[in-house]
Amino acid sequence: MISFGRLAKKPWIWSWIAAFVVWFATIMVTGGASTLGLSQAALTFAAFSIIVGIGQMFVITLGPGNIDLSVPATMTLAGTVALKLMNVDNSMVVPGLLVAVLIGVAVGVGNYALIKALRIPPIIATLSMSFIVQSAAIWTNRGLRIKPPAVLADFTTSSTLGVPNVALVALGLSLIAWVLLEKSVYGRWISAIGQSMAAARMAGIPVDGARFVTYLFCAVLASVAGYLLACFSGGAALNMGAEYLLMSIAVVVIGGTAVAGGDSNVPGIWGASLFMFLVVSMLNTYGIGAGIRLIMTGLIIISVIMLAGGRRTGMR
Amino acid sequence: MTIRKMLMASVAVACAAMPVSALADTADKKIALSNNYAGNSWRQAMLTSWEKVTGEAVTAGVVAAADPFTTAENQATEQAAQIQNMILQGYDAIVINAASPTALNGAVKEACDAGVTVVSFDGIVTEPCAWRIAVDFKEMGRSQVEYLSGKLPDGGNLLEIRGLAGVFVDDEISAGIHEGVAQFPQFKIAGSVHGDWAQDVAQKAVAGILPSLPEIVGVVTQGGDGYGAAQAIAATDREMPIIVMGNREDELKWWKEQKDANGYETMSVSIAPGVSTLAFWVAQQILDGKDVSKDLVVPFLRIDQDNLEENLANTQAGGVANVEYSQEDAIKVIEAAK
Repeated sequence: MISFGRLAKKPWIWSWIAAFVVWFATIMVTGGASTLGLSQAALTFAAFSIIVGIGQMFVITLGPGNIDLSVPATMTLAGTVALKLMNVDNSMVVPGLLVAVLIGVAVGVGNYALIKALRIPPIIATLSMSFIVQSAAIWTNRGLRIKPPAVLADFTTSSTLGVPNVALVALGLSLIAWVLLEKSVYGRWISAIGQSMAAARMAGIPVDGARFVTYLFCAVLASVAGYLLACFSGGAALNMGAEYLLMSIAVVVIGGTAVAGGDSNVPGIWGASLFMFLVVSMLNTYGIGAGIRLIMTGLIIISVIMLAGGRRTGMR
Repeated sequence: MTIRKMLMASVAVACAAMPVSALADTADKKIALSNNYAGNSWRQAMLTSWEKVTGEAVTAGVVAAADPFTTAENQATEQAAQIQNMILQGYDAIVINAASPTALNGAVKEACDAGVTVVSFDGIVTEPCAWRIAVDFKEMGRSQVEYLSGKLPDGGNLLEIRGLAGVFVDDEISAGIHEGVAQFPQFKIAGSVHGDWAQDVAQKAVAGILPSLPEIVGVVTQGGDGYGAAQAIAATDREMPIIVMGNREDELKWWKEQKDANGYETMSVSIAPGVSTLAFWVAQQILDGKDVSKDLVVPFLRIDQDNLEENLANTQAGGVANVEYSQEDAIKVIEAAK
């Protein structure tokens, strides 16, 4: 009971409860026959939201006004350029990944250059960056869909011990993020910056350096997600990132991270990503029409945020 | 006055003598393309076809200019402003693929009032002064179920993949599919998901609903979603149902692979992105003074088992099966509508 009491105080527990309830309601439709299939599908597709969500979470932690809207465009550009470079050649897998990461680095540097050097608010800076990046993606490939190398296609679509490989990659990245956030001085820094940038500056925290690294980290995670997604879905498409703009922000918020910054957690991203996939599956499974489905999705998300948020204000 | 009459008479004679002369009265006319979106392979192919066909027409002196413009944000307000700019720039005709069937009506009316010919296609506008080259989306949906009824006389459960919720095209195709199911009641739609006409979204949605579905014999689609559905189904141990494709190269390629491996049969139907060139020629014909009905219908581009290889060979890697229309094709479509 004591451990449950401690768990209930965690901001991320509500997204996990919500994901579990929705998962249970969905498998009940078939009397449990769909358990394995649904769980694997949920882990696979949640993995992409988790990777971009973690990056977005770090940026949002930096405090009010910090957000990266260039996530979808970065995913698209990284996916298209990497697949074009690899050109179905198994030996090019590593160079492809490197190029994807380099694109992430370039976008991250560009984003922070706009924010810092030109003093543009992050929301505008990253949005204009996303136009440039998206146009670059259109220009490089004109919507051509090149298949991923066989090795990568197999890796991203198969499972190890019943767990989808992409979910394992997401788990690895989550562990790194968790260590960075909870155990490293960098994690303390960005939380401090998010709570009060002025105070952080006076405390001698390298504010600009920490913010720069955070935007870089977010863009690199987006490009890695784009690389994996393009390989998973059999080729990059110009609109492949579109979904992940709102998704990356939604999973952060539902996961119990403070929108005002300064207080984040990694497990919530997992609960929220699984929940976001499962809620659509549940409503599809129950055969509810699109209009009602979108309204229900909205209402369910609001209730989860209210539960998570309401709980936390009471705690403090 | 007599000189003018003589001139007009000689022009009439010239027109009668050479009805499809390339160097018609439109040699000094300027046509603009107002396009609302360029972010997918269909639209990219549409723009490429436009550039290719109109480029030749401009070189041949059929028209003076045919410039394409695409809005960045896929917003009706932005496109309305773009159309107003085109009026000011003095274009004689504007060919539109509209962001909304109604929201551009104001700007289109302004163009008509300024004496500009407006031809809308694919994404049509409802303003009566404009011409509409529409797609019979309902028939596109219904014909899929009809095809399946020929292949699967016993019927069974279907999975429907819809497009983007709230868009007119999605409602129309889906209505056609449901009409088809009413016509062939041996079929039942067991599940329906929104794939947003994108392979990855369709793959995700299908993977989510699949575990809870009974056996599926066919998948009815809207184009751009067939390959994603195939990937999601292939990841399970289900037998591959008949997935109706939407003319995308990746879909046709997958179909070809399956056909070679196990004799998989299906069909594919969509609108060729080259419909932009049909709209161009229709606008040219209207500027040329031809009497053109306000409502025209685009022919479908359907691919079957026997012409799959031929169409696949003609489709650019990563693109969409395409045909570009000629002036003669446009005249045929115009005649058919009379």
